[in-house]
Amino acid sequence: MVGTPVLFIAIPLLAAFLIPLLGMIWKELVRIVPGLVLIYLLILAVNLLDHVMVHGPIIEIIAGWAPPIGINLVFSAFSGFLVTIMIFLGLLIWLYSYRFKKNVGYEPAKKYFLLLMMLITGSVGIVLTGDIFNMFVFIEITGISAYGLTAFYTGRDSAEASFKYLMLGSIASTFLLLAIMIIYSQLGTLNMADIANRIHTMNPTYKIISLIFFITALGIEAEIFPLNGWAPDAYSEAPGPVGAAFAGIVVKASVYAIIRYIFTIFDVDGAFNFLIIIGMLTLIIAEMAAIRQEKLKRMLAYSSIGQMGLVLVAFGFGTEEGVYAALFLMLNHAIIKSLLFFSGSYLVYNSKDKLIAEMNGLGKKLPITSFLFALGAFAIIGLPPFAGFWSKLSVLTAAADKNMIFIMSLILFVSLIELVYYLRVVNRLYNSKEKASSIEVKKPTANALITMLVLGGLILLIGFYPDVVTGVLHKASAALMDKSQYIHNVLSINQ
Amino acid sequence: MKKILIILLLAGLGFYIATTYTGIGFGEPHFKHGVKDTYLKQTVQSLHVANTVTAIVVNFRGFDTLGEVTVLFLAVTALGSILYKKRHEVGVRSVLFSSSSIVTAGSKLLFPAIILLGAYVFIHGHLTPGGGFQGGVIIATGFLLMLLAYRNYSVSHIILSIVESIAGITFAGIGLLGLIYGETFLQNFLPVGVLNNVFSGGIIPIIYIAVGFKVAAELTGVIYTILHEKGESNG
Repeated sequence: MVGTPVLFIAIPLLAAFLIPLLGMIWKELVRIVPGLVLIYLLILAVNLLDHVMVHGPIIEIIAGWAPPIGINLVFSAFSGFLVTIMIFLGLLIWLYSYRFKKNVGYEPAKKYFLLLMMLITGSVGIVLTGDIFNMFVFIEITGISAYGLTAFYTGRDSAEASFKYLMLGSIASTFLLLAIMIIYSQLGTLNMADIANRIHTMNPTYKIISLIFFITALGIEAEIFPLNGWAPDAYSEAPGPVGAAFAGIVVKASVYAIIRYIFTIFDVDGAFNFLIIIGMLTLIIAEMAAIRQEKLKRMLAYSSIGQMGLVLVAFGFGTEEGVYAALFLMLNHAIIKSLLFFSGSYLVYNSKDKLIAEMNGLGKKLPITSFLFALGAFAIIGLPPFAGFWSKLSVLTAAADKNMIFIMSLILFVSLIELVYYLRVVNRLYNSKEKASSIEVKKPTANALITMLVLGGLILLIGFYPDVVTGVLHKASAALMDKSQYIHNVLSINQ
Repeated sequence: MKKILIILLLAGLGFYIATTYTGIGFGEPHFKHGVKDTYLKQTVQSLHVANTVTAIVVNFRGFDTLGEVTVLFLAVTALGSILYKKRHEVGVRSVLFSSSSIVTAGSKLLFPAIILLGAYVFIHGHLTPGGGFQGGVIIATGFLLMLLAYRNYSVSHIILSIVESIAGITFAGIGLLGLIYGETFLQNFLPVGVLNNVFSGGIIPIIYIAVGFKVAAELTGVIYTILHEKGESNG
């Protein structure tokens, strides 16, 4: 063992407080230190995940008080897998944005990297914590970093997008607090395992209301229809790498929270069917909206919302195959959507309106970036032999196991819509008949190029050898399904 | 029509929520198994702290407090990043007015007293009601008074930033020391002393003093940043 799970929170916090001091010594340190922290955390995450695969989950208690008195962190195969993806993606986002917008001064750069690091830390905290109020605190950390990053360009539009996000985020926090209040007033505890252990003693009225409040609150963060009004604006106004961070990290953490509440804590019948319905609605409406978008980033944002709907549907099957498919989708979405956001922001770098219509013939001017964008587009639609194919296939088989033929056909139909709007963009990139775009292109910097190539390589690797991830995915989904084991593991810890 | 519908919908929702919450009956002893009894017992017995609220906030749930401190830190950082381009040169204000001589003379007298009260509140956080957050806010109001009374009163951003960072590092560092000298993060590793003494409670007063400094520096920074924001009307 190289460390304990609490270091995922403690080290970035320490670094965040240190960065302003380090910046006074040497300005470049504010860019370098977050990267070093993320590299360390990635090594830690991989090591701990390796340990967890063999020896079972690590439960860490904090301040010396065993649960349910104190707060505890749970690093299981399920949460560890998500933490590893998030930190890996966070590291790539850091690498990509290291020289993004060279002309940014010292002060904004310091704040950008600080907020980005805390965005990742907050999301990791949401996944690791075993306490509902502690999760609220981490949701706040993530939220405030996200509002700050959305308004990073300090323009009128980005301020509006950030304000919208702030308002909805505040409503989410209020609902979350109300739900936590109900739970505490009925059971007198905040520990997830302890709640799960005694939830059957709770009055059903209060149980349902608190579950509704939890889902409303987390649904805002997880971009579930109809609570996702903030998302397209925030994605299109925030800097490109931040869009990737929202899609790949923040939304994943919120989806995790919903899943944790429904799978582990609450025992409400029908919650799974509710997930399927709400997921299907989100998927269909988001994809319908995506096909009408004229701006590239808004299209990617709607596509991202749709993917999250599909993830919820897969979780809603409630079977181990369903969870496996959902986790596979989350992994692929993290990799592919980041690649699309990264390459997409270079394709429309100097364009004022960021329109898809302005992208004609960029395939010749920016061959590698365009190629990678096309690769990402094919992968996210689910064409073989790319990574997205396997996850979509596993969703369909999970649906087939549950005899949900109607859901299967809807998913296939929506994939067709996806195919149309992604091919529309790819077609413009390689279309030489129409007049080529007159907009000055921006060549990607070396580190951005490396990041995109790494992501592209991963898409091909998972596409050709899905076995590299399936082992971890099976363990992770088994860990989520075994609720009694989770409760036992946490509550059996003694001081 | 649409607005009336929305109001009716909100009223219905509000009624539903209100009846739910009045049904809970806050303040009544209606759960037997909760963690509350352990908190009350352990605060006096093993932590030797007189203020249970402080013991819960800083020790039992200290990890949450570390998070809340970070939330404030991030809010200040985000505010600074949003208002960055709109800031005047040092010494130029968006709010320009002269205060009367009563305010200028009185604030000089009150300023040290406010600072003293703030320091008292956070140093005695483990003995009496109050603590780091409250003490920090009191200190920040002292600076607000000075900024309102004197036009050219200025606070060094660098010093605020240094105080903020060192206080934050102290909190996180004590947590890590707990991991090194004890077994878990934020664990108490100092002797707990005698109940009701200023030097008691192990790491609790140290953390609360750090929180006090941090909150004071951050809120002063917020007031200063907003006061120097360049409004749209005057350029």
